[in-house]
Amino acid sequence: MSDALYNILIKGGSWQTILSGLGVTVQISALSLLFGTILGAAVCFLRLSDNKIASTVARIYISIVRGSPVLMLLMLLFYGVFAGSGLKPLTVAVVTFSLHTAAHVAELIRASVLALDAGQVEAARTLGFSKLQAFRLVALPQIVRIAKPVYQSTVVNLIQWTSVVGYVTITDLTRVINNTASRTMEPMLTITIGMLIYLSISYMVYGLFALTERREVTVDEHH
Amino acid sequence: MSIIKVRGLKKNFGALTVLDGVGLDVEEGECIAIIGGSGCGKSVFLRCLELLEKPDAGSIVIDGREITAAGADVDLIRRSMGMVYQRFNLFQHLNVLENLILAPTMLLKMPRAEAITKAEELLSTVGLLSKKFSMPAVLSGGQQQRIAICRSLMMEPKIMLFDEPTSALDPTMVGEVLAVIRMLTKRNLTMLIVTHEMKFAREVSSRVLFFAEHGIYDQGTPEEIFDAPQKPLTVSFINRLKYFHYEITEREFDLIAMQNEIELFGEKYGLSTMEINPIQVCCEEFLMVMLERGYAAGEPIEIAIDIAYSEAERRTEIVFESRGREFNPLAAEIDEDNLDDLGLLMLTRLTQAHEYEYVDGLNRMKFIL
Repeated sequence: MSDALYNILIKGGSWQTILSGLGVTVQISALSLLFGTILGAAVCFLRLSDNKIASTVARIYISIVRGSPVLMLLMLLFYGVFAGSGLKPLTVAVVTFSLHTAAHVAELIRASVLALDAGQVEAARTLGFSKLQAFRLVALPQIVRIAKPVYQSTVVNLIQWTSVVGYVTITDLTRVINNTASRTMEPMLTITIGMLIYLSISYMVYGLFALTERREVTVDEHH
Repeated sequence: MSIIKVRGLKKNFGALTVLDGVGLDVEEGECIAIIGGSGCGKSVFLRCLELLEKPDAGSIVIDGREITAAGADVDLIRRSMGMVYQRFNLFQHLNVLENLILAPTMLLKMPRAEAITKAEELLSTVGLLSKKFSMPAVLSGGQQQRIAICRSLMMEPKIMLFDEPTSALDPTMVGEVLAVIRMLTKRNLTMLIVTHEMKFAREVSSRVLFFAEHGIYDQGTPEEIFDAPQKPLTVSFINRLKYFHYEITEREFDLIAMQNEIELFGEKYGLSTMEINPIQVCCEEFLMVMLERGYAAGEPIEIAIDIAYSEAERRTEIVFESRGREFNPLAAEIDEDNLDDLGLLMLTRLTQAHEYEYVDGLNRMKFIL
């Protein structure tokens, strides 16, 4: 057992390979989350706009991306759209997962906006707040609060979905684990370790969200 | 100078004209009740004053500033007008105190400590100081509405607009909110109140506007509108009767449920407990006598109660229709010393008049209270 662990984790600097794979996974996930969230907000804005064309385009985009496997999108972009463009595989992966995340985030924001009670924004406006102030002070905090639990799952799902990037020659955590399993001929143990690493990343994400759970109290019993 | 001046106001929703050519001058300190049927544009009118609805034509001048003018600083003009909504619209992510101090600290740059002191004073006047750290969601509708009123008052508005402030409340909570509004009439605020509470409108307002046919159809003092309406639509609106209907088909009917419904009916139309109580007693006593003496055991029971209340005359009429053999409980002499006749005695004492007839197997007894 300890021999096997030594082979998997230590021998020939194996841990460094695993760490760099982990780094690639985290990098793709983090960048995709950042761009995907920004793009998702923009898509949602179009989706909710009064402009028929804009909202239809956004709706079609959302349904195509959400309705097909992300691996298909990745292959389409890598072997099709960006073939011969000289873009690095990692860049194509980030583009893919950003587009994918954007569709999910757009729907998530839309659901939260619709769940928000428009009367509160109206009340803020009649108190004298501008449109922007009403959005920032009344709508946004509540949209964030409604969206948070689902957004958390979106993040965790995104990290797991990135495990398919090995298909386009990227050496991420899954790919490294796969290679190590072949090299050491210890698939059972190696893959279990891989799963544990993914599991711990997920729990770190949940932990981060839990930290933000504490309500931003401005006036309370201790003022 | 009028504090609110409306000229030629027009508002359509698509092909539907809601308001057309509405004009109004409101003097400072007036308390105006706005009444009218559903969909007559009362609420839309109020929302136009706040520019929550954009008028299709016309001008609105608030305290010397035209809110409908191109380039008007709408946000600034709105500060001088408080708006209270049917659904309270408290900020759900903030506690009561935060709801109150948000606007004054952000917009008027009032120091925080000063805002909190002011908020606490207002909360104590409406009896809700103990709720200052509560979140809105845990409060009752009546409490939320009182807090929403305080939230508006924090901005020291000259004008308060109330859009059906008690329509979304349980009847039990209407009183507490109306009491707060009544209190405001002593503050020299200019108030416009859209309401269905006729009794309240009559009590607090100095002028009543009756909305119909796309605008202000009729207006006058509460006495002119409620006691001596002249124009045909006003007359029919004011004199319309309120109805209550209840049917009993078995001896073991749910008396408590019936009494409760009568109570809710009465409260809805502003009847006091002193007025509701006799109606309930009258129904109960009549039903008891009827079930005991009017129907033999096992006979099918079919009794309908219709209560009609005239808001204008403050008069209640109760009609009992019972199918079965002819039976007039009040036909026989009432023996005042006989305990069995106590119910009948109460009936005659509580009611001003009664009429009885028997037609086609139907006993029809009418009481006037």
